[in-house]
Amino acid sequence: MNIDEAVKLHRTYYCLDCGVCTGSCPVSRVLPSFSPRLIVEKALLELGDELLQDKDLWSCLTCGRCFERCPTSINFPEFMRNLREEATKRGVAPALSHHGLLQTVMELQTQGVRQKKTDWAREAGKIAETGDVFFFVGCMPYFNVIFRDLGVDSLSIGRNVIKILNAAGITPVVSDRESCCGHDMLWNGKPEVFKKLGAQNLDLIRESGAKKVVFSCPEGYYTFKHHYPQYFGELGFEVVHFYDYLERMLADGSLKLQNGGSAYTYHDPCRLGRMAKIYDSPRSILKHIHGSELREMERNRENAVCCGTTGWANCSSCSKQIQAERLKEAAATGAETLITACPKCQIHLNCALATMDTKLEIKDLTTLVAESIA
Amino acid sequence: MTRELLELVGIDSRRLALEWVSSAEGARFAEIVTTFTHRIKELGKSPLGVAA
Repeated sequence: MNIDEAVKLHRTYYCLDCGVCTGSCPVSRVLPSFSPRLIVEKALLELGDELLQDKDLWSCLTCGRCFERCPTSINFPEFMRNLREEATKRGVAPALSHHGLLQTVMELQTQGVRQKKTDWAREAGKIAETGDVFFFVGCMPYFNVIFRDLGVDSLSIGRNVIKILNAAGITPVVSDRESCCGHDMLWNGKPEVFKKLGAQNLDLIRESGAKKVVFSCPEGYYTFKHHYPQYFGELGFEVVHFYDYLERMLADGSLKLQNGGSAYTYHDPCRLGRMAKIYDSPRSILKHIHGSELREMERNRENAVCCGTTGWANCSSCSKQIQAERLKEAAATGAETLITACPKCQIHLNCALATMDTKLEIKDLTTLVAESIA
Repeated sequence: MTRELLELVGIDSRRLALEWVSSAEGARFAEIVTTFTHRIKELGKSPLGVAA
């Protein structure tokens, strides 16, 4: 899609030039040269070629805070995604973090390799090869190796999802053949890799006979819910977020929680909150933990701030500043524990916390629930 | 870490070797490369195919 087509698709010509986007942008706050408004204007003034070469094209966190507030509903994150596709087509290389290691792992998965990434799942509980419920694990087995040094056990989320599903009498399908959902490829200008990964996943899920696919990762959930139908049409199965599942289990009494007595604050991930509009189920789950108290941060729900980077691209001093501010905001609530709901938020915020004096524990909601099962 | 990642993604980690050889150690260099070449031949074709 060239720039003109992206302008037409997202109707950026409706821009009122009001600047709410730039005023809302967490990147613009710390990096004044980056401005969503200016990017929209440049595209309208046919300065697109300049835009595609600019490294700021990769500075956008695609967190959607601007889109949430735009009076003419210009979907700036999707507009950026289309511009990145065009830039990549013209040979511009994205600014990848961790030396592109994670993108390499993702791209390898389209090359006919047979992954071996589910040993932990068999140890965690009962899993199956076919069945009604498919648990889409995502990248956590890889994160677990790469970010172990930060003291983050990414796989604890996956293990606990299996334990909780088992406790509710469900034996989920977990497969070595599951590929990356393609989220990061899609947002970093490589839709052709995304399409290959997506097609592999759809074949696998259809073969498994699953009627429901459960996600604990907000990115996987949002990508399946929003982008898969756009690229592949009708999926033929239900896409469910684990928290919605969990909330139902708690409501009908099939799962009971106890003693988690502490003060918590909750960080809304962009994909789960603003994009998938799941704000309430994590909060309702926290309420089910006896004696717990939820202390909201000043910027919460649709106003929540991104964890600092997306798609394993462009981690900079700007990301660190966003993260440090967010952690200070969390500590200011007086809560002892910051609850995260996305494996990437957990990694990014832990990375920043390691360089700070702030007394705060970061814990994933799924892990907290698993620890509180009665 | 790289070996662990290779195993997860389904590539035999014996396909990766990391050695330090000084410029004065010609014989050792030849030996390491020969051993590694033999190992790769034994392991056969990579799951990634040719020149992936």
